[in-house]
This record gives sequence, C-alpha cells and structure tokens, in this order.
Amino acid sequence: MMHQDIFLGNGAIALGLLEAGCQVVTSYPGTPSSEILPEVVRLVRSEDLNTYVEWSTNEKVALDNAFAAAVSGKRAACCMKQVGLNVAADSLMSAAYMGTIGGLVIISCDDPGPHSSQTEQDTRLMARFAKVPVLDPCNPEEARQMAGLALDLSEEFQIPVVLRPAIRVCHARQALELREIPRNGRKASFQKEPVRWAATPKFRFLLHGELNRKLKEISRRFDSLALYNFHNLTSGRQYPLGILAGGVPYAVVKDILSEEKRDDIPVLKLGAPYPFPEKLAEDFLNACDRVLVIEETDTVIEYFLRNREKVLGRLSGHVPSEGELVPEMVYQVMDRVLRSLDLAGLKESGQGDAVELVKALNLPVRKPTLCPGCPHRASFFAIRKARPKAIFTSDIGCYTLGLNLGGVDTCLDMGAAITMASGFYHSFAQDQIDQPIVATIGDSTFYHSGAAGLLNAVYNDARFILVILDNQTTAMTGMQPTPGLGIRADASRGKAIPLERVVAGCGIDFIEVIDPYNIREMIQLIKKAGDYVKDPNGGIAVIIARHPCVIAYRDTAIPEKVKVTVTDACVECNFCLDRFECPALYKDETLGRTAVNQALCAQCGVCIQICPKGAIIAV
Amino acid sequence: MEKLNFILSGLGGQGILFMTKLLAQTALNRGLKIMAAETHGMAQRGGSVVSHLRIGDVAGSLVRAGSAHILLALDENEAYRSLPFLTGGGSLYVNAPARTLVRKQVLSYMNRMEMTCRFFPASETAMELGSPMAANLALLGFFAAFQDSPLPGHELGRTIEQASPDRFREINLKIFNRGFERGSAEREQTRGL
Ligand code: SF4
Ligand code: SF4
Repeated sequence: MMHQDIFLGNGAIALGLLEAGCQVVTSYPGTPSSEILPEVVRLVRSEDLNTYVEWSTNEKVALDNAFAAAVSGKRAACCMKQVGLNVAADSLMSAAYMGTIGGLVIISCDDPGPHSSQTEQDTRLMARFAKVPVLDPCNPEEARQMAGLALDLSEEFQIPVVLRPAIRVCHARQALELREIPRNGRKASFQKEPVRWAATPKFRFLLHGELNRKLKEISRRFDSLALYNFHNLTSGRQYPLGILAGGVPYAVVKDILSEEKRDDIPVLKLGAPYPFPEKLAEDFLNACDRVLVIEETDTVIEYFLRNREKVLGRLSGHVPSEGELVPEMVYQVMDRVLRSLDLAGLKESGQGDAVELVKALNLPVRKPTLCPGCPHRASFFAIRKARPKAIFTSDIGCYTLGLNLGGVDTCLDMGAAITMASGFYHSFAQDQIDQPIVATIGDSTFYHSGAAGLLNAVYNDARFILVILDNQTTAMTGMQPTPGLGIRADASRGKAIPLERVVAGCGIDFIEVIDPYNIREMIQLIKKAGDYVKDPNGGIAVIIARHPCVIAYRDTAIPEKVKVTVTDACVECNFCLDRFECPALYKDETLGRTAVNQALCAQCGVCIQICPKGAIIAV
Repeated sequence: MEKLNFILSGLGGQGILFMTKLLAQTALNRGLKIMAAETHGMAQRGGSVVSHLRIGDVAGSLVRAGSAHILLALDENEAYRSLPFLTGGGSLYVNAPARTLVRKQVLSYMNRMEMTCRFFPASETAMELGSPMAANLALLGFFAAFQDSPLPGHELGRTIEQASPDRFREINLKIFNRGFERGSAEREQTRGL
C-alpha cells in the first residue's frame, strides 16, 4: 500500500497545489483558510521545492501578486477567506477580463454558519459575478484534486479559476495517499501586450467578448467533466424526485441515501457549478418530476435551473436560507420533501428528544473570551476607565472579544475601527456635539487596511483616539507574523516596518507607546490623548499598546510571573468578574467570594490593579 | 465494525483537537478509513468546541445528530450540550468527578435511550500527575479500557508516543496509562456486578 498521511483539508489543498506545480502562493490569513499557506511552507521544506510563498498584507495585495506571477507564465495561487475576496474583488473582476498566461487559482474558503466570519456569503456567487469558473469540493481528497484541475483549466483557457472549499472541507481531516511531487522549473517571461495588460475601455469591450466565449466553452466542458459533475440516472427511467447537490452538502446527501438504502432517488452532483453545465442539468431535470436542490450557502445552482415548476429549494422555502446545512437539517429537509410528494420518508433519525432536554437544562452559554493574561483585556479596561462615555469602534481579531468588557461597540469590516471613528466624529461634529471616540485595532488588521482610513481621517481633520493593540502577531487566525516583525511566511527575514513609522507617515503627530499591563499609566496616557484630541491645534492621537500575545509568546510574554490570590477583603461586588472577566477569576460558592483558578491563571498580575477593595494581592 | 461515529466536546483550550488527532491516527494505523471535522477560530478562545470523528466508509465529515455511538466530553456541561448527537444505545464518557452530580432529567433520558454513561475525574487525575492541562489524555486512556473502543489501549499509547513533543512524551504517556488503569479497574468492577 502507498504511504498514507492524515491531512487537514487545507493541507490537502496545499498538497494539490504543489503536485500541480504551483510556483507562487500568496495569502492573507482568515478562518477557515489560514492553514493553507503554512501547509505549503511545510511541504516546500520537506520536499525541497522552490515555490515562492508570502503572507501578503491583505487579500487584494495577495491576488495582484499572484496574478502577476500567472501573467508571467507561472502557476500561482492565492488563498483567503470568503470575506477576503470582497477586499480582492476589484482585482478579481479585472483579472477575469484580462485573463492569464500561466495558471491562477483563487482559493476562497466559505464559512456557512457562520462560525468565524461576519457574513455567510457564497463565493460561488462572487465567481459568477466576476465571470470566472468555480469548483466546489466535497472533501479534502477532492479539494486536492480540484486544486490541480483549477490550475490546468486556468492555463488551458487563460482565465482565473476559483476554488471554493467550505469550512467542512478546510477543517476536515482525511487520510491521503502520498505520491512524488514533481518540480516545476518553468521560468518567468513577460510578453508586452498593452491592449491586454493595460487595456483601455475600448479594448475591455473586446476582452469581455472573449471572456464570454471562454465561459461558453468551459460550460460545455463542465457538461462532461464526469469526475466531478455526474448523475446516477438509469436511462429511460422517470423518477418522481431527484436531488441536485454540490460541495459539502453532496457528501451529506450521499451518506443519508446510502444509510437509508434509497437507490430510488437519483443524485446529480455538481462539483463544477459555474459556468453552469446546462446540458447535464437539463438531462437530469427531464428525467425527474421534481428536483430538490441542496447547496451551500446561497442559491447558485437553483438560479440556473430553467424549469422553475420542478425545482424545490431555498426559493420555494424547502431549504433554510441561512445557517449551515448540517446533516440533521438535510435529513429533515429530505424527509419532509419525500413525504410531501407521497414518497416513503426516511427512517427514524435515532435522535430522541434530547434537543428539548438540553434546552430545559439552561446550560451556561460558553462565550469565547480573551485568554487569561491577554494584554487586550488590560487595554480595554484602561480605555473604559479613562473614557467611559466614548463610542468604541473596533475591528476584527481576538480583540473583538472586548465586546464582553464593554470596550467594543462596532465591528464592521477590516479597518473600520478607524473609518467608522472618523465617520462618527464628523456626524457628531456637524451638530456641534463633542462626542469622545476611541478606536481599537490590532497590529495585523492595521497593516491590512488601517493605514488608508487613517490617512483619510488625518487629511479630513477627524478627532479621536486610536489605540493600536500591538500583540506582535496575528493571533486569532493562528499566530501568523506581521510586517511589524520582519519575519516572513517561510520564517526568513524580511524588513520590519514598525507601526510607529507607518502611523507617522499617515500624518499623526501624537504617537505614544505603552505596555497595557501597566493599567494606571495607560489610563493617564488615554486622558492626555483625550486632551490632545480636543485641542484646536491637536489632532488624532495614536497610542500603541504593545505587549506580546501570551499564547504566541508563551515563554516570554510574562517575564515576571506574579502569583495572585484573593483575600477576605473581597466584598463580592463582582466588579472584577463583570468588568475584567479573566477566565481564571471565578466566584467560589463555598468561600463566598471571588477566587483564582491557579490552573488557568497566567500569573500576569494585572488584576491586582483593578480590584476597588484591593482584595486581589500578590502571594 | 462497520461505521463508528465519535463526538468529542469540551471548551477551547482543553485539547479536543489533539484527542481527535490521536484517535484518527490510531485508526489509520489499523488500516481504517477516517473522516474528521474540527473547530478552529473564534471558539478556540474558551468557547464550546466540538470535534467529529467518523471511522469507516463515509462521505461527509460531520456526525448527524442522533447518530454518534460515542461521546467523549472534557466538560460536564458540554457533555450535556452534545447529548443530541448521541444515538440510542450509545456511550458517554465524561470528565466529571462523580455520578451523583448528574442531573436527574439527563439520567432518565439516557436510561430511556439505553445509553451508558461513565464518569471519570480526568482533570483531577491529570492534576495529580502534575499536568493539569492533560485531562484529554486521561479521559482517552479511561475510554480505551472499555470494549466500546475500537482502538486498543496500547495502540493509542503508541500514537501518543509518536505524536507528543519530546518534553511532554513521558508525562503524556503516564497520564494516559493512569486513565487506562482506572478504566480497566472500573470495567472489572462492572463485570463483577
Ligand atoms: S490568543 Fe493572544 S491575543 Fe488572542 S485572546 Fe489569547 S492572549 Fe489575547
Ligand atoms: S494574574 Fe489575575 S488577570 Fe492575570 S491571569 Fe491570573 S487571575 Fe487573570
């Protein structure tokens, strides 16, 4: 037997890219896509390949870089989460027209649920919008194969191709058979062709026509792409119901039908749903009186089916329009549809009345919280203390959990802490209202899309305090390095660009750096910054709250550990539990006061500063 | 064995992912097919975390509610929260001190569904041996002692040996073995009844 290894779906994608000779991989981290690039790095190292990798500063930057590689004839990939594709949309739309020379695959990972995203948007719709083909794998092995197929297609038709694995592919684990990874020695070359690479609107019109012709041809190719687009109809037979599914829901449907031994229900799988395989779908529709469409997350296949009377899905109200299509949900949908058509329903689901039972138990909701010792907790505490009446605009990262501490009022998209702060400022200033505003943004998010908003805010004389929560890493997505560190994706050295320099370059004159563990000083500093913001000759004040993440820098983040305990001076006011919310502090019912869970405590000692009664002390 | 569905539940930071990996790798070493689904991202910061592991010839990575044969829970409340996954006749192994704590409604539901429930103070066991964060391995050891486990204890032990970083190898194995001993003792006891 060939050697097998267990791969995370994202690792399978990395493997598929390299097996297909991908020479350039760029990415900006975001759940559920973050592990693709690190897996590429791991394989490049173990197989001694020379694939170029980079953590780009944002998704648009990642796509532009990969596009240039593909234009110079190489095979390239860029990886991001689905909302990252919004940031890269400008690039994608134009790249579709211009096309490629080598292969370009854009991997955009969807998050039905959503589990770790601000929307449930469907990347397949973005691909349709941009007019580029999209592949939708149902498991890690298929994602691996499709990564290669995407590069082949891209090169053959000179068009960017989107691979859209959903979270249950990215974070699934499956055993894959390993084979030799070939080296791709293709050299870069650039053929100047301004009418294409710098096309003016007149030529864009021609490129659009060419794109449409490519799509027609690829649609026909998808009709016969038997490995990923296929059905199990018996020819000549007419069925009362068929199911049309793609991606992860296809795997779910397949499992249910095989467990239930229901070979009376044919399935059309569409692993390559756009450009829509018209002919294949039509054949299937003709053989079925009704078809049920089960797809994630939005309606793509369903929109493309012409004979609306036959189609059951989201638009007809048979499938829920939001949330993940978990197996029990698909089971319910199928059972209901079968019974409504007077066909035999599914068997007992095996599920008792546990759902109601659990509801009645009123279990405590376990919200995610900042880690014990997390420097952000100290920052938020100081900010609220110093500016209790402020509007707190914030951003995307671990620190969004500052919500629990009352330190986050808004979280729109990457970089919006700053742009919403300036928006709020002007809205209130217009009415002569002096509204304090404190924006918080992480270091990585600031490099991603903070600077443009800050330039704008300075230029238009907005006034607010900006606290950059600099924990020296991209923590939420798994501790990727930032440009501030000068460490690159493959751990080689890059040039470090300190936040201070970027901030100064944006025109900020008030820049102070502080360690947020020192809450008292941080409160003083925020008050000083508040005065500067109000001063007619002042401006935007930037505070860089710098302390390493205690998870990324486990051994060094807390150089002087302080063992803490709670004394009898505790009056059970719950102030620390409500306002500081360290998971290591809890209410001990037998002691009748707050206590420290030493197993969880990071020994940062910060809580000593916050108890109004001085009941938390160092041992 | 045809198909076996596991749910592993607990809180972010308790090592659910590692436990899932160990089971999956051991199954693969036996030549079994596996498919697993994990929780990453926001929930890893202390929220509810659920891993799915399916052994056998399956297409999807998620265990359908009502079809898990085994539920391994590192937190008592998370065990209850994951109860809808468990199928009639399934088994729950939970990190909790004593069965007296269990809520009445839960017990009667589990009896009605002919489910088995085993309690084991995995956190205490790990703490006693000086590694409070390794409750996952103690519970895994405890579980491996029962015939529900398709994966023998010594094979899981070998995977732990291979998968542990050098400085944790010895302690990890010790904690796993302690769990296994406790499980074996309990199995003998119940057999005697
Ligand atoms: S991972 Fe780091 S930044 Fe994120 S909550 Fe934990 S300590 Fe804070
Ligand atoms: S010292 Fe205080 S704030 Fe720091 S981790 Fe321990 S309990 Fe939490």
